[in-house]
Amino acid sequence: MNTELLNEISENLQHGKAKVVKELVQKAVDEGIAPDVILNEGLLSGMNIIGEKFKNNEVYVPEVLVAARAMNMGVGVLKPLLAEAGVKAKGRVCIGTVQGDLHDIGKNLVKLMFEGKGLEVIDLGTDVAPETFVQTAIEQDCQIIACSALLTTTMGVMEEVVKKAEEAGIRDKVKIMVGGAPVDEAFCKKIGADAYTPDAASAADKAVEFCLAAAG
Amino acid sequence: MTNRERAMNILHYKPADRLPAVHFGYWGQLLGEWADQGKIPRELAQDNRDGSEKERELDRLIGWDFNWYHCVGANFGLSPRFETKELEILPDGSHRILNGDGVIEKYKPGVSSIPSEDDYLLKDREAFETLYRPKMQYSPKRVDSEFFRHFNETRPQDVPVGLHLGSVMGDIRNMTSVVGMSYLLYDEDEELFADLVDTYAEMQYRCAEAVLGSGARFDFAHFWEDICFKNGPLVAPDFFDELTAKHYKKRCDLCHSYGIDIISLDCDGVTDKLLPTWFENGVNTMFPIEVGVWGDQFEAARKRFGPGMRGVGGMDKTALREDRAAVDREIERMKRLASLGGFIPCPDHRLMPGTKFELVQYYAEEIKKIRI
Repeated sequence: MNTELLNEISENLQHGKAKVVKELVQKAVDEGIAPDVILNEGLLSGMNIIGEKFKNNEVYVPEVLVAARAMNMGVGVLKPLLAEAGVKAKGRVCIGTVQGDLHDIGKNLVKLMFEGKGLEVIDLGTDVAPETFVQTAIEQDCQIIACSALLTTTMGVMEEVVKKAEEAGIRDKVKIMVGGAPVDEAFCKKIGADAYTPDAASAADKAVEFCLAAAG
Repeated sequence: MTNRERAMNILHYKPADRLPAVHFGYWGQLLGEWADQGKIPRELAQDNRDGSEKERELDRLIGWDFNWYHCVGANFGLSPRFETKELEILPDGSHRILNGDGVIEKYKPGVSSIPSEDDYLLKDREAFETLYRPKMQYSPKRVDSEFFRHFNETRPQDVPVGLHLGSVMGDIRNMTSVVGMSYLLYDEDEELFADLVDTYAEMQYRCAEAVLGSGARFDFAHFWEDICFKNGPLVAPDFFDELTAKHYKKRCDLCHSYGIDIISLDCDGVTDKLLPTWFENGVNTMFPIEVGVWGDQFEAARKRFGPGMRGVGGMDKTALREDRAAVDREIERMKRLASLGGFIPCPDHRLMPGTKFELVQYYAEEIKKIRI
């Protein structure tokens, strides 16, 4: 296996070189490297490094966004091959900004970090009703519901999501993660959600932990 | 002592008889709530802008002394702005709108949250050269010379009024969205973002120069940025410094040459990593120091930069939605901060829906009892 090429993919991804990443991924495919290896040891490895650096304030939002753009270019090449090879995601998450709130920068960052960890993400967008989170989790067999809010006036909707999940009888199957500017650990506990994380990269780590636990 | 003298004395470490009761305005929704509750006349809830006569009337009703964000300046934005137009209505009822900055936003009728950014026009060199550069040029028409000719006589004499200096990167973020700004920072055309910042900054400098050259006099000057969030800056601090430091310095030096030595900067979020760029280049007053939602801190900045760093803000506005005990705790904290000197307490952003009218009155009344 050409580890040098995989490292090159990872390095270029970390520098946000989307076109180069796409070319290198194609080159790796042409050299016969398995798509899941390119994904895990090239693209996701690079995104993991960016995630860690983001968590430690060594890189900032722009670096994460350009790295994610590069990753998506690379994944675009791999997607049909991964499907053909039957490679499955590590878990499935539905994510959205809660009802009444249209802010989506934080939600999008978390989504990118989730994808960077190899999770499949169903993005419900903004202004998402509690029922929609729960219905999607049931229909799409999600292990996690992730709720974001920027406003103190909308964070209360997260409690509704927890209640709806309980009413639907899925509370033991689905973990509920909460985040956003006004949200903290105390609020998470108060509403009965499963996890609050202070930043997008930590959220992705926690989500993987939940999915691995769910997979047994 | 007037509130103007009080505020400026405090920020210059000179004696003042008491703290002024200072605020930073309101969410429109809150004023609507207060009007519904019969606390304020309906007409004061509508079009209540910073520094307006309507706002001053509301200040008197509540007991506030003034709003720090009472600033005037030239037209230092895009000129002309893009024509706002509705592009489409989506199946979920959202409207896609091209706004005046060239950003396509989505908003939903009935949802009071600010719109989300969906797309933007400023994507490459060609868009900059053809659509934006022409709108970023200085022209004397940007300065209302008639207004500034009479400004010294017509401005309120009893409260501080600031010169608005514009923004170095915040406006550009508004034109591109956070995502677009990030992509432009890493564009293959490495000079593009710097060109954009330099072009816009030069126009804003000339606007400030023209206003000050008109003879209008101000108590302080003020930047707006909003380039930080919960986890710190939206851009790498060294990158930010490289792109913006010279522009802060140039505008601050200009202000100093006209005798303005208090220069505040409005940035939401956790600002600590960008403070060195601002402070070293002439900005010396943090505002609004969002301690409640974001956890920003004034004491840490004072320890780090010394008495040269002033502050206006830092009061956790969420206490004004709770009860007197919560407000009393904040007042005690404000007393301690005010005793450091060079600090004026102010709610740490615009008062939000759910804020209790009587608690705001109580806070304003109690703050004014504090002697320096």
